[in-house]
Amino acid sequence: MSTYPYKYQWLLWVMLLGMASNSLAQSFEIVIASDEIEIPSGGDHQILVKAVNTQNQVMPEVNFSFYSSTPQILKVDKMGSITSLKPGEGKVIIIGRMEGMKDYKRSNLWVHVKHSEASDLKILNLPSEVFRGQRIGLKVQLFDEQNHEIINPNLVFESSDIPVASVDVFGNITAHQKGKAIIKVSSGKISTETVIAVKKNPVTAVQLSSNVQEAITGEVVYFEAQAIDNEGDFIATIPFTFSFTGVSESPSEYASGMIKNNGNFVADVPGIYTIVAAFGGREARRTLQVSARNVTEKVQLKGHGSVSNVHTSDLWVWEGLDGRDYCVTGTWGGNGEAYFWDVTDPNQLIPIDTITVDARTINDVKVSEDGKICVISREGASNRKNGLVIIDVSNPKEAAIISTYDEGLTGGVHNVFIYKDHIYALSNSERYDIISIEDPKHPKKVGSFELDEPGHSIHDVWIEDGIAYSSNWAYGVWMVDVGNGIAGGSPSNPKPIANYAYPSGWNHAAFPYHDKKTGKFYVIAGDEAFPNGLNTEDGPTIPAGFLHFIDFTDLEHPVEVAKYEVPGAGSHNLWVEGDLLYVGNYNAGLRVVDLSGDLMGDLFKQGREIAWFLPTDAKGRIPNAPMTWGPQPHKGHVFFTDWNSGLWSVKIDIKKPKNIKVEKR
Amino acid sequence: MIRKSQLLYLFLFLPIIGFSQTYFLYVASESEDEVAVIKFDGAQGSVDEIITVGYQATEIEGPHGLTLDPSGDFWYVTMAHGNPFGRVYKYATESNKLVDFTELGIFPASMQISPANGMLFCVNFNLHGKMVPSTVSVVDPFSMEELKQIQTGAMPHGSRISPDGLNHFSVAMMSGELFEIDVMTMEISRKLDLDRSLASLNKEPSDAAVDHAAMGHTMNDEAPHQVSHHSAIKPTWVIPHPDGQRVYVAANGKDMILEIDLLKWEVVQTFSTGKGPYNIEITGDGNKMIVSYKTEGTTAIWDLDQGRELAVIKNSRGITHGITVSPDHKYAFVSVEGKGNERGSVDIISLENHELIDVVEVGKQAGGIVFWKVEE
Repeated sequence: MSTYPYKYQWLLWVMLLGMASNSLAQSFEIVIASDEIEIPSGGDHQILVKAVNTQNQVMPEVNFSFYSSTPQILKVDKMGSITSLKPGEGKVIIIGRMEGMKDYKRSNLWVHVKHSEASDLKILNLPSEVFRGQRIGLKVQLFDEQNHEIINPNLVFESSDIPVASVDVFGNITAHQKGKAIIKVSSGKISTETVIAVKKNPVTAVQLSSNVQEAITGEVVYFEAQAIDNEGDFIATIPFTFSFTGVSESPSEYASGMIKNNGNFVADVPGIYTIVAAFGGREARRTLQVSARNVTEKVQLKGHGSVSNVHTSDLWVWEGLDGRDYCVTGTWGGNGEAYFWDVTDPNQLIPIDTITVDARTINDVKVSEDGKICVISREGASNRKNGLVIIDVSNPKEAAIISTYDEGLTGGVHNVFIYKDHIYALSNSERYDIISIEDPKHPKKVGSFELDEPGHSIHDVWIEDGIAYSSNWAYGVWMVDVGNGIAGGSPSNPKPIANYAYPSGWNHAAFPYHDKKTGKFYVIAGDEAFPNGLNTEDGPTIPAGFLHFIDFTDLEHPVEVAKYEVPGAGSHNLWVEGDLLYVGNYNAGLRVVDLSGDLMGDLFKQGREIAWFLPTDAKGRIPNAPMTWGPQPHKGHVFFTDWNSGLWSVKIDIKKPKNIKVEKR
Repeated sequence: MIRKSQLLYLFLFLPIIGFSQTYFLYVASESEDEVAVIKFDGAQGSVDEIITVGYQATEIEGPHGLTLDPSGDFWYVTMAHGNPFGRVYKYATESNKLVDFTELGIFPASMQISPANGMLFCVNFNLHGKMVPSTVSVVDPFSMEELKQIQTGAMPHGSRISPDGLNHFSVAMMSGELFEIDVMTMEISRKLDLDRSLASLNKEPSDAAVDHAAMGHTMNDEAPHQVSHHSAIKPTWVIPHPDGQRVYVAANGKDMILEIDLLKWEVVQTFSTGKGPYNIEITGDGNKMIVSYKTEGTTAIWDLDQGRELAVIKNSRGITHGITVSPDHKYAFVSVEGKGNERGSVDIISLENHELIDVVEVGKQAGGIVFWKVEE
């Protein structure tokens, strides 16, 4: 039994006293004049703070530190003086501590930086003339003295002569009769006004025509409205309002579709639709019969190369130098392996070779146009120096590493592409580097493309006709000239051409689609999203996201016109051949979609889906959990990889629907 | 019916049962997007729970650094890869459920929370970026807001706080600098060129300390050359001694540990090590220093008073990474990455007997590691 020696008891007392004094010394509270303040934008405020002990005595020995949690809204100096920078909510963290003490006390001062006085009210769409019966919505912006826009301001709309033109609380003006009215918009002390001159409606009748009277779902029908005056002449540039009603063939389904201001209409489901063109109380109607698209086909399973020990990533299928067909597939979260397959007979997918590199994921694989060079990406290298590996696949049965390249790519290469002796390799989700492999033993970086945007990021790049299509999450799709010539770009001097971003920020893949029949040029931008997480070990995964069809026919004014979304599923990689779209729709398997004709609205609802196949495998990496990664059509078959079950091949006998008419407009 | 002898046995063994200790720690697996809770009873270790981390499902985001709130109520993990910025996530220790997160710089790595003001300091390692100065992020862990980024050197790593909580230390791996940040003002208070200071200690010309060619990384072609040289020392870690008088730096490129006197602000002593010293931990009593020799896959135990390497223990697999030590100074828990498909591990080492006690396998590329608690 051990005891504390008597001579050390004094030490115990010193320790106890020390603890007590420490406890007493730390017994203070931070007191601030108010824990919530309001200051105007551009204004200052001195924080009044003190520390008091349990007897409410001020403790001058307590030092304070001040930190702004929102430096873009307000800053605070060492003395607690706040300077507001722009309107918003923020806080100042106040830390009080005494010299020599390890502990601290904390208090938060919430700061509401208010807009300064409103100083400028602008009507953005002043109408030059308004016709009787016409309705116009005003767009108004309010700015404060620092020129910060005041969002959702309280606006009051008034008309000086309601019988001539009334205005509702949302700023919608309705012109009732010929005359003049002053429309006043006010917010607090400031206001602006505009004079509306209501003219006699010149339109006495409206004619509505269309290119067809019968259509199928998904077919864009072009309605044209023409205004006629009282002398029977046509009036140009009348801004008609188009709308539609409809009755579905199905008693349990409502008629739906989309109509645009130019009169383009598309129906989702079979039924009778009535399209209305209206202006100033005049209108015309036209009825359209819409029948089902009827493009569904069955899929024949041909072959399955099961991969059950590791997740499978991307694939590339090509005709080898010996005339046989081959495929390379990557692996995800494994031992850095790429598998080579002989797929000459799509009924028998035969593994023929494996390349293993220092990596945990081979996310992407590509093969050169001449079938000689394969490049695979590396992520998760043991020394954290990732990059890419260049492989001789002249004889895929004896694939051999030619060289590796990691200069500037150590952060991980997620996706690659080979185009005309150059590799386009993503680097660390920041940019793509362009690497010449004219001498594949000695790859050499010749160029790079990186967005100059705050927080930019990139996920994929695809090259066609000398144009690189990159997918940049929140910054959307970027088209860059890397040799096409349209913008004078080259691999060593990439030049941006056009771009388009959409609100979700989920842009993950992009594929160009030139519709030769309509003359339209689209970029199909695919999402990737996992709002429900990813199951890597057991059970299915339910991703989200869809394909966005962006009409880039006018490169300077790209417009998103359609989407393809499989309910309850997520999109991943895609491929277009002719006017057929192949999609790896993760948990919804392989999907084949009819892209013929103009594209508008919701392609899935329109019944444009031709075929689907769910790759279920009881022996898969996760059994019976389809997770289709990406497809590639090749010589009449479709090959695709599934994350949980490896490589598959299917055959789809596409019979073009006879009732689809394609009109070039 | 219980016999008297049984009661006697129970009485005799009760204190032993009562005083047995179980140690808990967290370890992150960078190529698995997992954090594991490891339990160790003094003889055997096991995985108590696995927490899947990250938000980009089909991307490996790379949980790298781990730290605990001084209260022990929360643990934090940095995710190295983002779009392109990484994040720090806050989890409750009680439930291991996600509480909140915030975005930091590129490749946020190691971090620690200061007991002096409660703020979390995390280095933005920017391992794969241009060789330009990166930053240390300051995060308010209560609201999980990034308050500030303080620019330091190229590839900052080894984020540790002084025992009094008032100073934060980090080393810039490529520019070879030691940075001291005043925790209260959140500003750099001092900077030390380690190559020059070591050269001065060795009475060498300072230019000799700079190695342009021997580095594992090369300059990016288009990078603005703000970093004038690559450090030959390649410091990967810094840790303050519990006495508050000195810090130790792992000179990965020189196979040595540097001791820096904080009063003199210079290198005052060196310890020759095995290949690739990477992380360092010091026991709470200040007597022992444990160093991971990453390149050779071993862990060394040093007697700091004698400046002597007491033992070098072969790890269970290659690429030794991080270290955490039990508060009773009895055990070192060492994360070992492994390679390729090989699983990572936590190697449990006795600091008394200098031997490997047990190996607990975890997810691939085990890296960040932090001690959580001891239960009686």
